[in-house]
Amino acid sequence: MLISFPNMGPNWVAFKTLFTALDLDVVLPDPTNREAVKIGVKYSPEFVCFPFKATIGDFKNALDKGADVLVMAIDCGPCRFGFYASVQERILRDMGYKDFVMIPLDQADLLEFHWVKTLQQVTGRSDPFIYSKFVKAVIFFVKKAKLLNDIQTAEGLYRAYERNQGDTTRVVKKLLLKLDETNTLKGLRNFKKVIKEDFTKIDVDKTRNPLKVAVSGEIHISLEPYVNLDIRRKLGEMQVEIHQNLSLWDWVVHKFHLNYHRKWLEHLAKPYVPMDIGGECIWVLGEYIDRARAGFDGMAHIYPFTCMPEVTARTIITNKLKKVYDLPVIFFSFDEAMAFEGFRTRLEAFVDLMYSRREHKLAHKRDYLKQDLDDIYHEYGSNFYKECFQMIQNQ
Amino acid sequence: MVQVSDKVKVEVEKKDAFLGIDIGSVSCKFVLMDTNGKVLTSVFLRNEGSPIDSAKVGMAELRNNIEDNPELKAYAIRCCGTTGSARYLTKAVVGGDLAKTEIIAHAVATQSMYPDVRTILEIGGQDSKIIILRDGIIVDFAMNSVCAAGTGSFLDHQARRLGIPIEEFGSYAVKSKNRASIAGRCTVFAESDMIHKQNAGYSKEDIIAGLCDSLVRNYLNNLSKGKDLDEPVVFQGGVSYNKGIVQAFERHLGCKVLVPKYNVLMGALGMAILVRDYYQEHEQETTFRGLKVADIEFETKAFNCGDCPNNCEIITCSLVEKDEVIARWGSRCGKWSEIL
Repeated sequence: MLISFPNMGPNWVAFKTLFTALDLDVVLPDPTNREAVKIGVKYSPEFVCFPFKATIGDFKNALDKGADVLVMAIDCGPCRFGFYASVQERILRDMGYKDFVMIPLDQADLLEFHWVKTLQQVTGRSDPFIYSKFVKAVIFFVKKAKLLNDIQTAEGLYRAYERNQGDTTRVVKKLLLKLDETNTLKGLRNFKKVIKEDFTKIDVDKTRNPLKVAVSGEIHISLEPYVNLDIRRKLGEMQVEIHQNLSLWDWVVHKFHLNYHRKWLEHLAKPYVPMDIGGECIWVLGEYIDRARAGFDGMAHIYPFTCMPEVTARTIITNKLKKVYDLPVIFFSFDEAMAFEGFRTRLEAFVDLMYSRREHKLAHKRDYLKQDLDDIYHEYGSNFYKECFQMIQNQ
Repeated sequence: MVQVSDKVKVEVEKKDAFLGIDIGSVSCKFVLMDTNGKVLTSVFLRNEGSPIDSAKVGMAELRNNIEDNPELKAYAIRCCGTTGSARYLTKAVVGGDLAKTEIIAHAVATQSMYPDVRTILEIGGQDSKIIILRDGIIVDFAMNSVCAAGTGSFLDHQARRLGIPIEEFGSYAVKSKNRASIAGRCTVFAESDMIHKQNAGYSKEDIIAGLCDSLVRNYLNNLSKGKDLDEPVVFQGGVSYNKGIVQAFERHLGCKVLVPKYNVLMGALGMAILVRDYYQEHEQETTFRGLKVADIEFETKAFNCGDCPNNCEIITCSLVEKDEVIARWGSRCGKWSEIL
């Protein structure tokens, strides 16, 4: 039995450990690439959102590599994501793949523990003796998700300061492989040190004062670098600090009802959108307000073309929030079209715009005083942003 | 054999001139400017296949212009900048010193003519953009993202379909007394709506005026989303030749819309101004290959790397004479370092 699941950026590390800790074999699809997208576009309904198409391509690739169990997250949320798994299963069967099982992973509310059923289905056991293994698998999964979040945080900061372009990318690549090989609790407990050590090896120019940009939007698009044209790296190489709270860890904690940062964002967005309408709409709005108050230079909002909740967020930002909070924002809707030149033009113009605002002190109240810096680097969770920033300053 | 030198000889006795190149999706523009911001000569061409060919043809034409005009021979090009969607490739080919986005270039050029401008509307062949300035600083911009309905290519196509030269399109629109209403949401809808109106017996003038109106509506819906469009408004880009569109803009915005003298050359002019400032700040030797770019052979190649599942498409551009790679991009893992 070979288990597989679709790509979502570096999060394969966490999902892989969830199954290998149960002594199951895992086969990973190739990183999302042109071939996968082409297949996805060919077999998907024309008007469906882009993550659906990309994941269909991943599934086909995994099935060709011999996978026979596919795991896909489902949700009974308000947008069409909830139906991905069942529609994709039918499409794959129509494509001629008969011998596979699609196991849904219900993530609507993790405290309802529907995911235990998924683990039971995957292992084929439901006797009490297997539960200790479930606990171990979940602990490993959550720990690795947290460490991936830390890597993402450090990556966003370090790339803006690196002297040799590409150092950070290489470090991150190596760290992911190292994290994948760490499969003991002790190793995971010490892994944060490894992250810090590896990042401190990067040659940084700490005299720089980079722009601070928040990246927010739909989760698959924000995390999968092929789909979003690697916006985090592109911005980073233009010497922009990337602050992105959105990650698998952030989402999982939210679904366990323990994510107080998201609760805070919901509170901020309440006057504009009173409830979760799907996607990341409500948190994007909250984040916009939060980042503007914290003194950021700008925000990038990325989402799949035709995504209803994100388009709603976009309209509220342009028509209401922007007039009040005046934080520059750029929107990208991604689809199969990879018009890279146009994308780069917009990004460069956006960076120029933020620089000229900073130069002319249009970013009023945005002089980076000491206490302001504390505000900026005070991020949800572990204060890891602040730690990374101090690491850079102490080098 | 053409000698390919990377550095141009510094001709100290000559006067300073600056070259701005704007290679867009449909046309390419070259502007040669002196230190005071006066346009010495300019070239406007339709694109010839690839940006490299366009750059070469444009350079050849520019050389002819300079050789024909004895006054221009007293100038030497000190610095060269590129803009437009092909700015990096063009920069590599001509050896430019600076590459900037069209948005910055347009804003700079417009500010040099109208220092108090607050809104810039720009409609080109494939791109349309809107730039908002306050107190001389760009505070906001937008470019069309997924829809080309409000752009010049569509107008061009419709003009050909109606059998009217695109140059006269505007004057037809102005003559109309009673505009036909045309759906502007999407080019496909607009076209079928136009065919219906043609078959129903509307005059060409009314249809064209309706089309101009719907194009402006589409542009404002798509780009201006919640932005305050204040006076003075400047309208530029190829479509600003079209009087019908200018009138439609005035009607929708309820204010006067200014069209600058060099409406299609604004991007290139802005780039010339930017490199002038760059040159005065840095005073360094230019990397510009000189006007003989027209005679140099370039070769572009695209191949799939294939070393990992990413299978990136790597694009390289090289000098045939020296077998030297001057530009390369497309790699995602960093195996092929980017050269810009």
